[in-house]
Amino acid sequence: MKRRANTFVAGIGSWLATQAVALAEQRFPPPDFESGYKLPITQTPAPRAEWLAWLDVVVLLAALGFACHLIFRRRSRPGLVGLSLFSLVYFGFYRKGCICAIGAVQNVTLALCDRSYALPLTVLVFALAPIVLSLVVGRAFCAAVCPHGALQDLVLIKPSKVPAWLEHGLGIVPYLYLGAGLLFAATGSAFLVCRYDPFVPLFRLSGSFWMLTAGAAFVALGMFVGRPYCRFLCPYGALLRVGATLARWRVRVTPDYCTQCRLCEHSCPFGAMREPTPAAAQPADRRRLGWLVVLLPVLVLGGVWLGRALSVPLSHLDPNVALAEKLLGPKKAAPPAGVQTPESLALTRAQDNAKDVLAAAVEARARFATASRWFGGWVGLVIGLKLIGLTMRPSRADYEPDRGACFGCARCFSYCPSERVRVGLQPLAPAAGPAAPGPAVAQAKTT
Amino acid sequence: METKPANVPPLNRRQFLRSSLRVAAMTGVGAVMGRLAGRTATRGTVWQIDPARCLRCGQCATECVLAQSAVKCVHTHAICGYCELCTSYFVPEPNALNTGAENQLCPTAAIRRKYVEDPYYEYTIDEDLCIGCGKCVEGCNRFGNGSLYLQIRHNHCLNCNECSIARVCAGDAIHRVPADHPYLLKTTVSH
Amino acid sequence: MKNPSAGSRITRRRWLRQGVRHAAVLGLAGSAVIQNRRQARAADNTAPNPFAYDVSRLEKTDPKLVRFAETRRFHCPQPDPRRLTLGPDGNLFVAARDAVAVLDPTGTLVRELTFAGPARCVAVAADGTTFVGLRDHVELFDAGGQRIAAWDSPGRKAWLTGLAVGDQGDLFAADSGNRLVWRYNRSGKVLGRLGEKNPQRDIAGFILPSPYLDVAWHKDGLLRVNNPGRHRVEVYTRDGDLELTWGKASMGIDGFCGCCNPIAVALMPDGRYVTCEKGLPRVKIYREHGDFDCVVAGPELFPQNARIGAGEEAADGARAALDAAVDAHGRVFVLDTITGDIRLMEPKA
Repeated sequence: MKRRANTFVAGIGSWLATQAVALAEQRFPPPDFESGYKLPITQTPAPRAEWLAWLDVVVLLAALGFACHLIFRRRSRPGLVGLSLFSLVYFGFYRKGCICAIGAVQNVTLALCDRSYALPLTVLVFALAPIVLSLVVGRAFCAAVCPHGALQDLVLIKPSKVPAWLEHGLGIVPYLYLGAGLLFAATGSAFLVCRYDPFVPLFRLSGSFWMLTAGAAFVALGMFVGRPYCRFLCPYGALLRVGATLARWRVRVTPDYCTQCRLCEHSCPFGAMREPTPAAAQPADRRRLGWLVVLLPVLVLGGVWLGRALSVPLSHLDPNVALAEKLLGPKKAAPPAGVQTPESLALTRAQDNAKDVLAAAVEARARFATASRWFGGWVGLVIGLKLIGLTMRPSRADYEPDRGACFGCARCFSYCPSERVRVGLQPLAPAAGPAAPGPAVAQAKTT
Repeated sequence: METKPANVPPLNRRQFLRSSLRVAAMTGVGAVMGRLAGRTATRGTVWQIDPARCLRCGQCATECVLAQSAVKCVHTHAICGYCELCTSYFVPEPNALNTGAENQLCPTAAIRRKYVEDPYYEYTIDEDLCIGCGKCVEGCNRFGNGSLYLQIRHNHCLNCNECSIARVCAGDAIHRVPADHPYLLKTTVSH
Repeated sequence: MKNPSAGSRITRRRWLRQGVRHAAVLGLAGSAVIQNRRQARAADNTAPNPFAYDVSRLEKTDPKLVRFAETRRFHCPQPDPRRLTLGPDGNLFVAARDAVAVLDPTGTLVRELTFAGPARCVAVAADGTTFVGLRDHVELFDAGGQRIAAWDSPGRKAWLTGLAVGDQGDLFAADSGNRLVWRYNRSGKVLGRLGEKNPQRDIAGFILPSPYLDVAWHKDGLLRVNNPGRHRVEVYTRDGDLELTWGKASMGIDGFCGCCNPIAVALMPDGRYVTCEKGLPRVKIYREHGDFDCVVAGPELFPQNARIGAGEEAADGARAALDAAVDAHGRVFVLDTITGDIRLMEPKA
């Protein structure tokens, strides 16, 4: 990915230059054709129409709205399956997975860090709408709108439980991936999330061998482990998780209130169901919490130091830096004359523009020096907060899904007897006798 | 319809923390939108190859994420010399100047040669066959007028966020251009 | 309340231990993948281009065929030189961007004639009158460098790329745009048109994909003109009768390479032809009836010219060319339009 400052200038400049040359220096005339032959015009097939990009935004917002409606009003799993299919077809196979919210957040980061980059408004909406929604109702985007999530959700046949230690260990990977992705996006060197997205090659039905294999592996894994990409890799999911944790409203298993019947305990294929826990925190826990809070800034500063140390190796991903390194590095044996490799062509070009290449590389290194410190600090913060999070024991009165981890897939609804009563699948429990426990049940619909 | 159990307190520390963080997050998102609102582009951009910088390294044919590359060879006929012995059509030493496969330079025989009048021949690219390898472009630039060059065709290009050819382009020739001027066509060469 | 069994309870210690183990595994796997990807990418980059247009074997000249050696090299002071000619006193006249530079045989700048646009060709008469071809018309200068006249343009599509002074006070101007050679008298009146397509006179016409028509006059009274699109040199009388043609298309050393060569023709004192080609930049000598004689300078001497001509650098390859001029002693001056070097090639001992 190249510096945005150069792109518009280069593009418009070259175009203007060709126009200017055409005007200033007349073209050498083509041959005189006596047979009345007319020169064909070079065809210029147009790119995708602008209004279609806005259509994508409208479809996204409509799908998000509909997903909320299906999760909170209708509480319908079949509805969500239908919406997932639609999203898979529209955002997945029709749009070939690009534009997507996951990648769009890199563009937003680049726009924040690079004044010369003009972000398209459609990309901004794609990046921010699901986040804003997650702050209000949780991960409705993940439920049925994201094509990656829809694909994994639809292929899930026999979910198995991921052991808790693995779940927690892999749970920080999305945050680290988010940090790395934003690091390289902010420095303008690469869009890693786009490059290593496993599902987009499947949507495109073409791509490099390794990426197609990775995609197939994720799909295969997704048949037996619920949403592996969403839970353990998706960088946007990390943001949505944070947003959903802060959300105003949350997904509730029961339409009513919880009778603690425990039928939904193992209903979540994604390990998001949480049990009720006592409120009191142990004194030992409080002390540990205190130490961890003190440890947090140490971890962050340690991370910053580590980031600074890693700044130079990380900068190699920038193409300008890589080229400059090759230019300054030890001279390899020249290829035999006539056999030009792309690398030798690039090196020759670099040698002729050595000043510009080196200046660009120095600039890139400077950007990396700052950005990798931020990344290092972020890594420290993530680890520290994870440790703190493990020590905190949120008090819960009911069985309810974890706000951050719940995808809103509505699978757990049908496990709840109150829900089954609401939709009329089973009749209301008989009137309470002297031995019956629990508070009064609200009036429910009967068929 | 739902009645809260009596023993749940109206607002606890956790809820307060959550509310204030949510408001902070919303403010943050709003600030991002505000900061970027003045800098958003009204028009989109697409990828395009600058023919003046292209070095014909051959990676356009192999690096595109699509099975058949979105890069195709394009011909500006006004620059073409219409030569009988076209060095982009024929191999350096052809057996004969005809359309025999052993004489053709293009690995997929994507150039069509049509007789116009003596001794001029018209050469056009069949885009369904062209893989964007740049071999003909090299032949045309070396010996001819340079009327053949590579361009990204937008009826095929997916406009990826990060173009995988741009990443490895030997000439640093692929950059984003405004979507309403999506081609960098050669109109002339400076003689 | 369900009490989670001790085994599945997460303690920080347990998590840290497992976390470190798994982070190690993840890190190893990740770095392995990154290494693999980087190597794969590096390997692709260093693999030769499978779609390369390879003429490297044609760029090497058999040393036995080369009978000239470079004895001196100097640089044209003006940028973008195009054509080269010799004056009666042995001075070199180089038509370049916005000027004609006059150099003495050691390369020192003697005089400069400046113009508003690029000077494309130049010829000098025995009395020192200098004719300069701008794109669409000819201008005259006296021996001291003063402008005498500026002739009218001969036509709408005029693109003058070669000039030669005849022996009856006439000037032959090679017009690539109109695909013919104009014959002027000293006052700028058009006396005749040579080389135009004319089936009755058996003249096939000039094929000019690019503007490199050149003329050379010899004391035997015949005008030599190159016909790049037909890969041959044509010989005309001053009235436009075609006397003979010779030349063949071949990438080999004895033919004219590519699609449109030769781009320049000059004459040795004994009437042998000196031809220049582009694409495979080389200067060769042919005998009177077109038999290949020897090589003056092969592509090895013009690496940058070949590279730019092939477009391997971001300069316009259409301007990569050579021009040659011969002095009275049979020494050949070769102009490289890309580097601006003028090489003096003398016959080897």
